[in-house]
Amino acid sequence: MISSRLKMALAVSLFLAFSTALAWAQMPSKMDADSAAIRQCVAAWEDAWNRHDAHATAAAYVQDGEFSSTTGVPSRGSKELEAHYNEIFTTFLKDAHRTDTVRSIRFLTPEIASVDIDWQMTGARTRDGKDAPNRKGLLTWVVTKQSSGQWMITIYHESVF
Amino acid sequence: MNSIQSKAALAVLLFLTLSAVSSRAQMASNRDADTAAIKQFVANFADTWNSHDAHGVAMHYVEDGDFSSIKAEPSHGRKELEDHYNTIFTTFLKNAHTTDTVRSIRFLAPDLASVDIDWLVTDPAAPGGVLRKGLLTWILSKRNGQWMIVIYHEQSF
Repeated sequence: MISSRLKMALAVSLFLAFSTALAWAQMPSKMDADSAAIRQCVAAWEDAWNRHDAHATAAAYVQDGEFSSTTGVPSRGSKELEAHYNEIFTTFLKDAHRTDTVRSIRFLTPEIASVDIDWQMTGARTRDGKDAPNRKGLLTWVVTKQSSGQWMITIYHESVF
Repeated sequence: MNSIQSKAALAVLLFLTLSAVSSRAQMASNRDADTAAIKQFVANFADTWNSHDAHGVAMHYVEDGDFSSIKAEPSHGRKELEDHYNTIFTTFLKNAHTTDTVRSIRFLAPDLASVDIDWLVTDPAAPGGVLRKGLLTWILSKRNGQWMIVIYHEQSF
């Protein structure tokens, strides 16, 4: 009797230990997959930006996504975001090209992450149409995982230095 | 459906409606309390910063908090954070005073918030008295009932 109870307890312990180990092993692999998906989100956004496609650039944000410029000027929601990108792509950034390199990703929850991205830009002009010096800085985004599995921009901040 | 069944159905419906209303009201009131607590936390951070207490400022971060300067130079974890604040408070910011004004708070989850803070650093010796101004963008997390900085970014303009 005791022996069968012991056997049962051992079986349960073994099962729990294996389940835990499996869950632990799966966590980094899920995180790796999400990191890859986030990098893909950044690359797709960069590509849309470099095509100067205001609609596609804005579509990388969630419906009530927030953008804040290098001087802290905000745009919120798909309509305002698209209008913002339309404005910059037809004026002082119409010949600009950007390069974005993910520096770090920090998961705040399995579905929310903070992403730091080094950015550089060539071909920008000043507001009065003169050549502007090349710019660089840091993008700091909060991205969220949608039910479709896709990661999208919830909050976008950018700094220049 | 007889009359007793109708009354029972009505009672259940009323109970569910009242529960939903009460839960919504509770959520809004929790959010108001969290908004107030976050504003208080930012004010406390500024006070500690203004007393140039490097340890006290570092303790506003979670143990593995991340700081990034206006040039994106990082400090990670309480020890590096305290060293960073010690350096700035004994060198180029030793006479500086910060004024931090919460611009907006966005809750990402009940215990996770993104906070934008207008930021002005003054120093009597600086041209016009202003050393820096810009935006602080923080990610805060509520740990054991206390809001703390997980990620600190700052931009100067």
